[in-house]
Amino acid sequence: MRRFGYTVCSVDSLFLSGNEAFARGALRAGVAFACGYPGTPSTEILEALSAAADGDGRVQAEWCINEKVALETAIGASLAGARTLVAMKHVGLNVAADPFMTVSLTGVNAALVIVSADDPGMHSSQNEQDNRTFAKFAKVPMLEPADSQEAYEYVAEACALAEEFDVPVLLRSTTRISHGRSRVVPRAPVAFEPRSYERSIEKHVMMPQFARQRNRLVLARLARLRERAEHTSLNVLEAGTADFGIISSGAAYTYAREAFPKAWFLKLGMSHPLPVEKVAKLYRCVSRVAVVEELDPFIEEQVRALGVPVVGKEAIPADGELDQEIVFAALEPYLKRRPPRRRRPVMPPEPRVSAPAPAEPELPVRPPVLCPGCPHRAVFAMLRKHKVTPLGDIGCYTLGALPPLDALDSCLCMGASVGMMAGMNKVLGRRAAAAVLGDSTFFHSGVTPLIDARYNEAEGLVIVLDNRTTAMTGHQGHPGTGLRLDGSEGPALDIERLCQGIGVRCETVDALDTGAFESALKRELDARGLGVIVALAPCALMVPGKRRPTVDEERCNLCGLCLDIGCPALAPGETAVQVGAACMGCALCTAVCKRGALSVEQADAAGGP
Amino acid sequence: MNGTTTVSLVGVGGQGVLLATNILAQTAMAQGYDVKASEVKGMAQRGGSVLSTVRFGKTVWSPLARHADIVIATELLEGRRALLLLSPQGALVCARTVIAPGSVLRGEMEYPQDIEAAAAARSVALVLVDAEAVAREAGTVRAANVALLGAASVKLPFGEPAWQRGLAAAIPAKILDVNQRAFALGREAHLHEEVKQ
Repeated sequence: MRRFGYTVCSVDSLFLSGNEAFARGALRAGVAFACGYPGTPSTEILEALSAAADGDGRVQAEWCINEKVALETAIGASLAGARTLVAMKHVGLNVAADPFMTVSLTGVNAALVIVSADDPGMHSSQNEQDNRTFAKFAKVPMLEPADSQEAYEYVAEACALAEEFDVPVLLRSTTRISHGRSRVVPRAPVAFEPRSYERSIEKHVMMPQFARQRNRLVLARLARLRERAEHTSLNVLEAGTADFGIISSGAAYTYAREAFPKAWFLKLGMSHPLPVEKVAKLYRCVSRVAVVEELDPFIEEQVRALGVPVVGKEAIPADGELDQEIVFAALEPYLKRRPPRRRRPVMPPEPRVSAPAPAEPELPVRPPVLCPGCPHRAVFAMLRKHKVTPLGDIGCYTLGALPPLDALDSCLCMGASVGMMAGMNKVLGRRAAAAVLGDSTFFHSGVTPLIDARYNEAEGLVIVLDNRTTAMTGHQGHPGTGLRLDGSEGPALDIERLCQGIGVRCETVDALDTGAFESALKRELDARGLGVIVALAPCALMVPGKRRPTVDEERCNLCGLCLDIGCPALAPGETAVQVGAACMGCALCTAVCKRGALSVEQADAAGGP
Repeated sequence: MNGTTTVSLVGVGGQGVLLATNILAQTAMAQGYDVKASEVKGMAQRGGSVLSTVRFGKTVWSPLARHADIVIATELLEGRRALLLLSPQGALVCARTVIAPGSVLRGEMEYPQDIEAAAAARSVALVLVDAEAVAREAGTVRAANVALLGAASVKLPFGEPAWQRGLAAAIPAKILDVNQRAFALGREAHLHEEVKQ
């Protein structure tokens, strides 16, 4: 409040920078969790939010270790039921692109608004990328405020859109919007009831069979969003007196508006998807149309695709910032020319969505499963026993999400589980969620969110399924094993020591020793703060077990407990369970049997085939 | 399509479908055909359904085809499922191997028993081969995929020398012998099956 003060310029209006307006807009919209990574011109959004909330408990705001972790943390917060905002500069979205592209498929629970602050002119940036392309790329809606009042109001608009369409919303700013200041008339707060979290693997575990279904929904959603863009009050056709129309959005709109006060305007507050019917309407009203936009011909290319004449980047510079003089000088000569021949816009067809592959529903499907002897199964069986369903990650173990193990809740992108856990637990205010990820995934992107969780003092239990390899892709080496592509051996990083260095308690247990794992799990479940369990056992395909069980047919009553671990080597026989040739000798089934019907006679009994 | 023959190979991850695919593709090349093959790896190798495709002809453009002239199935349920892939007058060469998926093991679904009737209803020529028994006779049950390929070879326009070159190109020298035996016994088994029909 003191550091990021604002000036009161009349009784009921404020004078705010766009970034302050985003922050106040977030508070007004009931945003309860916000995070990001500093980067000009986005930085003041979170600073202002944190200062404005002033520790009153309405909103938790924090810096994260980087933008990827910030977005994953935000996704966890949204899933937990809090309206969430995450802010970064344009290049930050490159870092966060992995979760960004897939959260489009999973959608949200409570609203998730991603503020991307671009920097035309590169006042403080290494490149000038136009992040509007990210909205198209990820098939998510995008709002573009043109001043502080809109920055303030669009946060609530974005939240409503996110929840109505089950989609993250890109709220795109630029340096002039973020750092420009203008009058803001405060509006009444928006009522929002926090949502509760419900498990849905079809929505949140993006393994191929579910991602394919979600992708069809994404395409259908895009068509509905286009319909919304046609009718939203954010996209306004403003009548003029000249025979000249301008399509524009964001800061560029203000320059064009000042340069050509008599022109017609199609002002796009929601610039993706493009409201093509509204564009067509403009073409019915005027004979000359220009698109005024900074950086890429994002709108222009879509207008050209309608088959109509338009003036765009041949006149308006494709680099740097614009202003009204540049815009006037660029378009003025064009107005002196004869108007082009009128052509009717041809509306783009709705893209066809492929039909699912033909299948006979009466035939049982065969989804991929954890291999016989897989040490992950032992961990999952124990997690299920203790009713822990962690957020998951990318690897063989993602398969544990499926019945009968039902062991994970989510799979978004490499390393997302840890940040999502942190966000979820921050919102729920307790150690509700755990995370599970493999050793290779941990080194890929699991270390940064763990450092972040330590930094922000997030609570939670992280289980690293350390099978000493990158198993799913065919057993490649990684820094934890030291094995390199050419077969040579480098130094192997020790996860436990790494955790010690970060300051996180960590315990390594044999994943196949169910008793030891259960004790470690119980200790962690009773603890507070942040903890890591490394469940260590090499991939069964590399090191088969040697403990092939035998069945005592007298004792087996076919209760099905052993079948519930989903081992493909176990099948019910006529009177007793049978151990098939596929058995890899992990002996997990002997640990879950309550009647002692499955047993390993000797530790060195004959191995599997 | 356009004089190109499509063979699809289906089975369960871990059964050696990809090896059989490679042998078949190498054989078609040895016979002097243009060949394209495609397969899906990754998740599919973890005990899930596996599908790969080999296409051969004078000039092959696409590596994919929605329908196959011949399907080689290393497992009964996968063979049954693949009936949908077969062109009319196509042939299904299917192992009698049964690997029950989780839903069957848990008693939620029935393992299909109607492969003969379903093949007949689609006018598909069906050859069932006890590929595991044949492979065991050759020396190892692990060669069941190659035994099945031997059985399927009767339906394919490749000569013995091309098959031998295909086998040698795709199989490590150490285990080539046993696989050659499995292939030969599989081919005999098919001829035997056809006599029975």
